[in-house]
Amino acid sequence: MSDPQRLQLLRSINEAADADALRSSRDHVNDRMASKRSELPIDQFYTELNEAYDAIIIRAISLAEAHMARVGMGSPPVPYAYLLFGSGGRGEQTLSSDQDSGLVYENEPNAEKAEANRNYFAQLSKQVVIVLERLGFPRCEGNVLSDNPSWSMCLSSWNKQLDDWFEQPSWEAVRYLLIVADGRSVHGTSSLLDRMKDHFFANMAKHPNIVGRMLENTMRHKVLVGIFGQLLKERYGEDTGSIDMKYGAYIPMVNAIRLLAIQQGIRSTSTLERMKALHAANVLSEEDAQSYGQAFQLFLQLRLMTTEKLERGMYANNGKLAVRSLTREMIEQLKKGLRIGKRLQRRIIKETSVRLK
Amino acid sequence: MVKKLMLSIVALLMLFPAMAFAADEGPSTGLLNMGLNSVWIIVAFVLVLLMQGGFILLETGSTRMKNAGHVAGKTIFTIGLCTLIYWAFGYGIFNGGADISEGLRKFIGWGDFFYSPVTSAGEGDSFPSTAFFLFQLAFATISLSIAWGGFAERAKLSVYLVFTIFFTALVYPVIAHWIWGGGWLAEDGAQDYAGSTVVHLTGALAAMAATILLKPRIGKYNKDGSANEILGHNQVFSALSVLLLWVGWFGFNAGSALSVGDGFFGFVAFNTMLGAGAGTVAAMLVSWAISGKADISTTLNGALAGLVAITASCAFVDPWAAVVIGLVAGVLVFFSTKLFEKLRIDDPIYALSVHGAAGVWGTLANGLFATDELATKVGVGQGGLFDTGSWHQFGVQLESVVVCGLYVLIVSFIILGVMKLVMGLRVTEEQEIVGLDLSEHGTYGYPEQMKKAQNNNIQA
Repeated sequence: MSDPQRLQLLRSINEAADADALRSSRDHVNDRMASKRSELPIDQFYTELNEAYDAIIIRAISLAEAHMARVGMGSPPVPYAYLLFGSGGRGEQTLSSDQDSGLVYENEPNAEKAEANRNYFAQLSKQVVIVLERLGFPRCEGNVLSDNPSWSMCLSSWNKQLDDWFEQPSWEAVRYLLIVADGRSVHGTSSLLDRMKDHFFANMAKHPNIVGRMLENTMRHKVLVGIFGQLLKERYGEDTGSIDMKYGAYIPMVNAIRLLAIQQGIRSTSTLERMKALHAANVLSEEDAQSYGQAFQLFLQLRLMTTEKLERGMYANNGKLAVRSLTREMIEQLKKGLRIGKRLQRRIIKETSVRLK
Repeated sequence: MVKKLMLSIVALLMLFPAMAFAADEGPSTGLLNMGLNSVWIIVAFVLVLLMQGGFILLETGSTRMKNAGHVAGKTIFTIGLCTLIYWAFGYGIFNGGADISEGLRKFIGWGDFFYSPVTSAGEGDSFPSTAFFLFQLAFATISLSIAWGGFAERAKLSVYLVFTIFFTALVYPVIAHWIWGGGWLAEDGAQDYAGSTVVHLTGALAAMAATILLKPRIGKYNKDGSANEILGHNQVFSALSVLLLWVGWFGFNAGSALSVGDGFFGFVAFNTMLGAGAGTVAAMLVSWAISGKADISTTLNGALAGLVAITASCAFVDPWAAVVIGLVAGVLVFFSTKLFEKLRIDDPIYALSVHGAAGVWGTLANGLFATDELATKVGVGQGGLFDTGSWHQFGVQLESVVVCGLYVLIVSFIILGVMKLVMGLRVTEEQEIVGLDLSEHGTYGYPEQMKKAQNNNIQA
């Protein structure tokens, strides 16, 4: 907090009068954070970056609300919470994360009013997504976005949808449940999300077999280290010699820790927080928590080094890291980290399948 | 139904003793032996010829849809042309019976051009020369089809025509003569039972000369030197091709015994099966361990590499050695494909690795694993390092690989180099992109699919 530049940047975000002003703040954030990549300890880097992005998203929502008022749609008719999923939900956004979002609003018994509410929030969400796109946050390819009606509804509809997903755990439904588990309220009445999560965890207790389905859902992302401890790199194409940091290191670990955490009813969404909570709950030993934490921080750090590019004004990244750009020492660290990640993945598979038998 | 069957069996049983009694006036043991041998050689010839079905499927399966008809059809065409050239000229260079000086005979055969065989086997012959000719011809066509791997997806059709003539007349039969036709390497005792060097290495090195002169296919390499994967259009074809080749290989190897005799060809077939199995298993496991994915192409290549490697040694080694030879071949083929890719040599059908690297290994393996007992039985060379403790046979094997390799590579480079100057080897960029089906033959191998793709492109 002692950094005056940072405070000034947060102030300029909060005061941005329109999307263009906000875009320039976002570009500032990216430039500033990119230059601080090697100075800051990694957890602090992510905290600062995600704090700034949260501020930008909150401001974008305010701008969208103002736009709604301006076009005669009024102000939010009932309390709502704007939700972030994916890396945003986990507070692990990189300089080029996309939008994964949703929205939940208070129930309304009167059908006519409920329809009006639905209409208002549909318009609002649409506006928010557009503004964020203008800020260089690309849409989620899987369409997990607040402007998709399946991800924006009143609390009771959300709960009904969760029930459906738990009762019919198709591959897609399980994927959605895992996405919801990482949900975080970035703006608005966060108790709405708390109630949604209460419902989620009540369902977890009712459907113990869902854990196995969740494991199957995430197992296809393997840690990219071979049986000789070698890195499994891309063999063809322009990324030949690169390692897929996102799906071959970071995501498998996120998945494994999430699965442990939701079985314990842990509500934190950040992976490092989840590890701490798992240690507190005696699921992870002191030693394990520490080695998993270190490996994960290394992955977070190396993710930042993956090829960044600006595509049509969007901050984009393919998650792949050119191994030849690493020092020998870093490669050794990476291999060690991946071996730890693989051990964790194996442990989860073993423990989960034992429990289900 | 059952009754009828029983009746005919009883009738047959009654007939046979009657025939045995009649043997006094019937064929001699020598004639029967000759007859059995010829049946086996002709069956083996048919099996080897059927291996071309394997090559058709292998080459089409490993390449793209737009070239499928061309790739498949040209194999049939070149078998036809190879037959005529081999009959007119190639066989004479391999095994011609004309009276030429001892010195010249060390390097080539002469005579028997436009081969006109006697209609049946002579007194004391163990098989008719017609059967022998057909069997040898089938080997020549196999070597040629291996070479085509290096031409795939970008050579002009006319190149196939011209190269078939020169390869069948000047390249293949010379090597065959050196090792099998009583040439100078045969005199040194070079062991190559069914042709790891003669057939496979020869084909592979011609392919290498071609692929180097033709340069990689469009889109295979990026500007920074990294390779792209150009996937074949049908992995099922590729797998079926391996099965066809595997089956045909029993004609290839066991047929090379050229006799039924005491059943030694069964032992050769036995070793062949072990080598192939070992190659398959080793290749899949090594690709799984090293790249993290059990690669199907590598597995298929492993089966073929095992077969190629055991081809030279199937009659000279004990079964345990056949397994070792196959295992090494399977591992070798995986690293070899990676190496050629790194060297920026585009090898669409993996001919250089499967037939080249494994061919070299199989030939050299005799120098390590051959046993004196089997070498004496076959009557070529002596035991290898592990049986005799002597490096002699290994030296002979190394010599044959190096000398044959150099000859094929140099002569192929000259033939193709001249062709490149005179007629050009490669289709135009536009023709390559459109595909050879259309550019060389005017019609697609898969008309419906390709037209659909074309229409989509126009709309997009």
